[in-house]
Amino acid sequence: MYKSDNQIYDAVIIGAGLSGLVCGCYLAKAGMKVLIAEQHYKPGGYCTSFSRQGFTFSAAAHFVGGLKNGNLGKIFNELGIDKIVEIKKYDPSNIVITPKYRVSFGNDLEKTIRDFQEKFTDESDNIRSFFYYLMSSDPKSTTTMRSWTFKDVLDKYFTNNELKSILGFPLLGNAALPPSLTSAFIGTKIFKEFILDGGYYPVGGMHKLPEAFAQRFCEYGGELRLSCPVRKITVRNNNATGIRLSDGTNILAKYTISNCDARQTFLKLLGKKLISEDFMDALNAMIPSLSGFVLYLGTDERLNKLPETGINIWVMSNDGLDLDDVYLSVKKGDYRDIDGYLLYVSPDKRVILAFLPAPFKNKSYWVRNKLKLAESLMRRIEKDIIPDLTKHIKFMDAATPQTLFRYTLNYKGAAFGWASFPSQLAITDFRKPSFVKGLYMTGHWTTKGFGIPGVIYVGEDTAKMILRRENA
Amino acid sequence: MSENSIEKEIISIASDVSGFDPEEITLETNFYKDLEVDSIKAIEITVAIEKTFKISVRDEDVPNITTVSQAVELVTKLLKQKDADV
Repeated sequence: MYKSDNQIYDAVIIGAGLSGLVCGCYLAKAGMKVLIAEQHYKPGGYCTSFSRQGFTFSAAAHFVGGLKNGNLGKIFNELGIDKIVEIKKYDPSNIVITPKYRVSFGNDLEKTIRDFQEKFTDESDNIRSFFYYLMSSDPKSTTTMRSWTFKDVLDKYFTNNELKSILGFPLLGNAALPPSLTSAFIGTKIFKEFILDGGYYPVGGMHKLPEAFAQRFCEYGGELRLSCPVRKITVRNNNATGIRLSDGTNILAKYTISNCDARQTFLKLLGKKLISEDFMDALNAMIPSLSGFVLYLGTDERLNKLPETGINIWVMSNDGLDLDDVYLSVKKGDYRDIDGYLLYVSPDKRVILAFLPAPFKNKSYWVRNKLKLAESLMRRIEKDIIPDLTKHIKFMDAATPQTLFRYTLNYKGAAFGWASFPSQLAITDFRKPSFVKGLYMTGHWTTKGFGIPGVIYVGEDTAKMILRRENA
Repeated sequence: MSENSIEKEIISIASDVSGFDPEEITLETNFYKDLEVDSIKAIEITVAIEKTFKISVRDEDVPNITTVSQAVELVTKLLKQKDADV
């Protein structure tokens, strides 16, 4: 018999990342009694903001994608999120700048195609076929390409290496992988949902998005507990029965959903004893995505000559940059040459963010290198894009992989869950482990998607799966 | 492996991936229309079939699998080929 002080829910969700929140909203909306337990004092995971000295910085995620063509628009509408948070659109959403070229990706597909065709006349027809391929989404053709990399796709359409490098570079920022290692499915999703349907920003800051989902979740009758770490997923006869909180409280639930890191879910919360030998081998062989280095700059009002605001600006130091080489240098933590970076200037022109993929090194490595890397990145931005930047800085800080780990507990500060290799795509045990009934995973460790469009899709899908089971 | 047990395995995979109850899935079930299988789930089902039966599904076979019975047929054929190769 269960002890009488146990708290009973229909579903309990570990982690209030966007995926957990979306899943919670749908379950609560369907009338289930749902609890979300989040270790941090605010919801959102990587999708959040912080303020320092009057500046508001997006912590990691700094734009939203998939509002027009992806699931986000549908979910916003179904949950009434569009009534709570105002979304502003910036178009074009992404610009790539190299020494020779400047090309833009926008919501208008034909305009994007024309821009590329004007710059790369030798690939004119291929450019059209490539962009049309990106926008088509037939499940059968995608399945046919399940073992392809995005490099295979680029090689299928193009011969021009400078063009291939420009089209591959955003994957280094959006998946922390070069095209030669990124699954074609994920690479295509990135273009379709993050880039060609990107450039959306919640007015007031990225934190407005998780706050809106949290508000709806509570209005639907859900209960969100913040600063509430979870110690265990409780299991009886291979059935997940709920969770035990750090303060010892037992929460009983028919469905347990983990929106947190996969290794923690399996090794710490569930425990090795419950995991089959096969799955343990599979888990140990999985490789996480790289982490990231984020530079946060607050500037004075006198800074002019700024590039376009509110959009992603991808700066490449060379044309035809070998992205495999860039990836290998970054993986080693070799930043002697910064070959490229992602730059973002906030619409109010007061905040500048810059992003680099980064390896998870120990604390002392980042203590030694954080300031050095921040300063060399700042000088690079000054040289490439914003003259006199260093004279106008009022605030500077940076997040290292250690910072990202500390706030979100993602394994090795991974920015995108498991690395998006074709071999690490769509593995059912990372979604709904076969060895424990009643346990579901949601979020970017499920091998089914990452970034805001990806985790939101998985969140809704997890709820759908549970509701189908309930209604069967 | 008998066709009956292949069918059971495939239904179990389809159920795990889609969330639909195994009882609701029959040989005639269409993955896309009846189980709302989208791109990522189609990949997930294919990957799970390959892993479960230790076979590799060729790219050109994928467009021919729309229903559970077509999946059973293909797996049966590939398992036979595998036995013949050994």
